Amino acid sequence: MYGYVVQRVKDTHIAKDLVQETFLAAWRNVDKYNGEASVKTWLFTILKNKIIDHYRKSTTRLTDELISDEADQDVFFDTAGQWQKSAYPSDWSISQENKVESKEFYSILIKCKKKLKEIQAAVFSMKYLDDMDSDEICKELNITTSNYWVLLHRAKVQLRSCIEVNWLTT
Amino acid sequence: MGIDCKTAVDYISKKEEGKLNFIQKYHLFLHLAICYVCKRFEKQNKQMTSICKSSASKEIDILKQSDKEEMISALEENI
Repeated sequence: MYGYVVQRVKDTHIAKDLVQETFLAAWRNVDKYNGEASVKTWLFTILKNKIIDHYRKSTTRLTDELISDEADQDVFFDTAGQWQKSAYPSDWSISQENKVESKEFYSILIKCKKKLKEIQAAVFSMKYLDDMDSDEICKELNITTSNYWVLLHRAKVQLRSCIEVNWLTT
Repeated sequence: MGIDCKTAVDYISKKEEGKLNFIQKYHLFLHLAICYVCKRFEKQNKQMTSICKSSASKEIDILKQSDKEEMISALEENI
């Protein structure tokens, strides 16, 4: 459970708290467990809800964050919407068939994801780790579709840039 | 009228979910045909997302024994 949650939140302390809260919630609601699903499935259902609750808390300041983010985007695109020369993607030369390279790449990706704003990381995790679609994510996080696409766009551009710096220097 | 790189990057994500209409798909196709920078972004986007999907369930961090014990005592206090 810890391994699952630590890939989805920024901080290991938060990950530990969420696991602990899950066990506590399970203990308090044990009479509601009807045995239809395995205990593991039931615990993971509680854990996923705890993670989404945690994400929701980070959406409260969303509008302010989106506005303050505008400045960050100037690093990647100029006023005409073209890539800044300093932000041009370089060739990564990665072989996905090579398991060692894939593993190394994934650990860099997770490290870089932790540098994103909580809400950006949440959107990225729900989309690509949990395979949810945009409609589900908007509903769970209570955000508009246009905010969702802005968050995903910014998460990817920043993540790509961070991965590039770390990948090409390893 | 073509699209700029910022819009192309946005369309690349929307295309994954089939959220582009015919005109948008056409604009993206034309843009990627002439812009090697966005073409490279598209390739890297695929690498990021596919490695994410294939690695998420395999790379598991484990809680240290001391953390587990700490968690158990905290739970016992709360129960």
